[in-house]
Parts: sequence; structure tokens; C-alpha cells
Amino acid sequence: MFLIGHGISVRSDLPIPEWLFGWAAAMVLVVSFVALAVLWPEPRLQKPGWRPLPDGIGRALASRPVEIVCGAIGVFLLGLTIYAGLEGAQSTTANFAPIFIYVIFWLGLVPLSVVFGDVFRAFNPWRAVGRAVAWLARTISRGDLPAPLEYPAWLGRWPAAAGIFCFATMELVASNGDKPETLAIAALLYSALTFIAMALYGVERWIDRGEAFSVYFNLFSRLSPIETRDREVGLRQPLSGLPQLEPLPGTVGLVCVMIGSVSFDGFTGKRPWNSVSPDIAQFFQDRGLSPEHALELTFLLGLIGGVLFVAALYWLGVLGARSVGGGFSARRLAQEFAHSLVPIALAYVAAHYFTLLVFQGQGIFYLASDPLGKGSDIFGTADTQIDYTVIGADATWYWQVGFVVAGHVAALMLAHDRALAIYEDNKLAVRSQYWMLAVMVGFTSLALWLLSSAGS
Amino acid sequence: MTFEIAHAGHWLTSIAYFLPVVAFLVWLGITQFRERRREKG
Repeated sequence: MFLIGHGISVRSDLPIPEWLFGWAAAMVLVVSFVALAVLWPEPRLQKPGWRPLPDGIGRALASRPVEIVCGAIGVFLLGLTIYAGLEGAQSTTANFAPIFIYVIFWLGLVPLSVVFGDVFRAFNPWRAVGRAVAWLARTISRGDLPAPLEYPAWLGRWPAAAGIFCFATMELVASNGDKPETLAIAALLYSALTFIAMALYGVERWIDRGEAFSVYFNLFSRLSPIETRDREVGLRQPLSGLPQLEPLPGTVGLVCVMIGSVSFDGFTGKRPWNSVSPDIAQFFQDRGLSPEHALELTFLLGLIGGVLFVAALYWLGVLGARSVGGGFSARRLAQEFAHSLVPIALAYVAAHYFTLLVFQGQGIFYLASDPLGKGSDIFGTADTQIDYTVIGADATWYWQVGFVVAGHVAALMLAHDRALAIYEDNKLAVRSQYWMLAVMVGFTSLALWLLSSAGS
Repeated sequence: MTFEIAHAGHWLTSIAYFLPVVAFLVWLGITQFRERRREKG
């Protein structure tokens, strides 16, 4: 379990109780919903408009040399992470691997993807190695290589959902999940699996559908106004990348894992979990498990419960939307509106891990100079300390509320736009969204409760 | 696991967060019920 505090702080000067922020956020959603129903009568996000950056900048940014340099940086960072994990000090804060994987990579790439588009695709070490090996193999065999296997349609994004679930398990469940050596071995194992899958199904196909982190960051990048097409970087309408998301099997599952795992992480700090989990762990201990494994199994069940709870909430909205008519099956509606969950996932990640990124992210300055935690000072920054005064507790709360509200309003916009596109009658489209609004209000209330000091 | 009456303040505050959801669901239920009755009538 990754137990660096998410910025332990006490809010003291809020003008109203925390729970009133929840009510205000719900009101904002309802008002936004009414405004959308009145002011947004036609679908606006369904057509993928895009224009390249001017003066050849778009081509330069997506050129082959830039791609090679970015890929090499990605491979170097993966190599450094594995090396530091295996050879460095076995400390969560003094070793490069835990902070880099859990903070810089896992959290830092999220805002970068939202602002600059799919940056991870450029730096993806597995894609870089896969493409380099494929090029080498093609050159040696003079293009006489067997075609990759056809990717099974039913598999969709399920491998990515499974990958993100495993990552969350390591972060939130495994008792040694923050140990540098464990992380290095996990990275090696994941790399091996990825290379095998890329060899079987082709590099780009696996990157687009199966490789967990590519799919994860790509989902967030679809919120961005920046998109690369045909080796050229260009601009598009913000949010318009998400409606173009192919409705593949596993997409709903993936987004539920994304939201459910963050929800569970927040829930572990709450009184209900802390009063129930010892009893569950004791139950497993009584059946022969060691205390450590009993606790891990308890947390694994909690994580699964978190994911299932989010899935149930979403399906409640879907079944409600189906009940108003329109002739769509629940499965079809679930796929049609899955993309609207992505801004909610972003809101959860941004709000929940905001302080972790802001505070522990500063650790990269001393780790750059001393990645192994053995006393080196390569860039002269090894003595840099984390500044916990960068942001105060009240300001953090306002940012968190802002993330939650903005994410859910964006989700409402996406769902509303999709409803207008698929329902023939606009009134029916709006009525179907009453249920989605209920789901959004539910997710908003849950997010703010998890972030609040209530029930802690 | 114990029912913590002494900590009622904690869970009452927690419940307050979810009142908008409950209120919205009640409103939604009533609206749909009325519409179904109107359609039948």
C-alpha cells in the first residue's frame, strides 16, 4: 500500500460547512442541466473537427526525430526506474521508483494529457521498443514478416481494464506495493507481457486497446484541445475527442475501475471502512490466513466493492434512461454514454490526488540527483526539501471542489450532446438525461464526501 | 462493529452530503409516476 500521506491538513477558515459545498455543487449541476436543455438544442461535439497547427509546427512536433527522442527518453526512464528499484535503497521516499511510478508517471501525466493531448503515446517506452524491434525485424527479414493475429473483438478494452485494476491493487492492496524492488519486478513483468502481446497482435493495435497505461492516458487526452492525426499535431474543440471514442467492450469496465479505485482509496480513510475492515480481516485470519494476507484480502474485496459500486451507480442511470423510452437496449445506452464518465474519472483523480502530486511530486527534484537513494548528488539538488506551504488546506479544498464540479459539468455536457445525437425526439433526449443527472449528482456527492473530513 | 450513537454528529454530517441525491431521486420518482399515470389516463 502506498502510504505517503495525501497532504494531511486541517481546514479551518471555510465560510460554510463542508457539506454545504456538496449541496452547492449539486445545485450547479442542476442549473447546468437546465441551461443545457434550453441553450444546447443540437449536437455539437459529435463531428471531429480538427485543424493543424500553423507554419508546419504540427508536422515538426510529430516528426520522426522528435518521436525517436521522446521514445528514447521513455525507455531511459523505464530503465532507470527498474534499475533504481532493484539496486537502490529500499525506501519509499528515498528511491526514484515509487515516487516516479505513483506520483510523476501515474498522476503527473494526467494533467499533461488533458492539456497537451496524448503525450504518453510519444514517450511510451513499450511502444518505442516495440516499433524499434518491428523495424529491425522488417529490415532483417526484408519485409517478409508474418502478419499479427487479429485482435479478438470481444476483448476490446478489457486487457486495459484488467491492467489498471492490477496497478490499483498494487497501489492500494499489496502490503509491499510501495517497495522499490517490488515495483521494479512488476515493471519487468508488465514489460514482458506487453512485448508478448505486441508481438502477437501488433504494436499499434495493442497500444490502442490492450496496453493499460496507453488506454488510460489516451482517455484523458480526449478532453484536450490538442490531437495528433497522420503525423501532425493540430487543434480541435475541447471535449470533442471523447464522443469519437470507439464503443468497444470493456470501456465501461475500464472507467468504473478508474473511478472505483480512487473512490476506494478515499473510503479507506473513512470511519465505516475502518470500523468494518478489522472484523473482515479477523474473519480471514480465523480461517488460517496470516494477518498480512488477511488484510490484503480485505482490501482487495474493498477495491472490488468500490468498482462494483461505481458500476452499479452507472447502470442505475442507464436503466433509468432506458425506462423513458426510445427503444434502446441497456447495453447500447451503457456504451453510448460511457465516454461521459471520463471527465468524472478525471475529477476524482484530480481532486483526490491533488495534494499528493503537489507535495510528493516535488520529490523528483532530490530524486533526480540521487535516484538510488545512496547519497549521490548528480545535479546538485539532492538536498532539496518538500515545501508543504505551497498550498494551504482551504485553498486545496476550493481546488478540489472546483475539480469535482467542473468534471461533472463536462460529463453532463457530453451525455447531453450524445443524447441529442441518438434520440430522435429532443424532449425524450432531455428526459433520458434526468437519470444521468441523478448519477452525476450521486458521483459529485460521493466525491466531496470522500474528500471531506466527515466520517473520518 | 458497533452502532455509534455517541458519534451521531459524524454520520449525520455524512448523511447531509447525500441529501441532494435522495431529494433528486424522490423528485424523479414522483415525476415518472405522474407521467405514467397521465399516459395511462
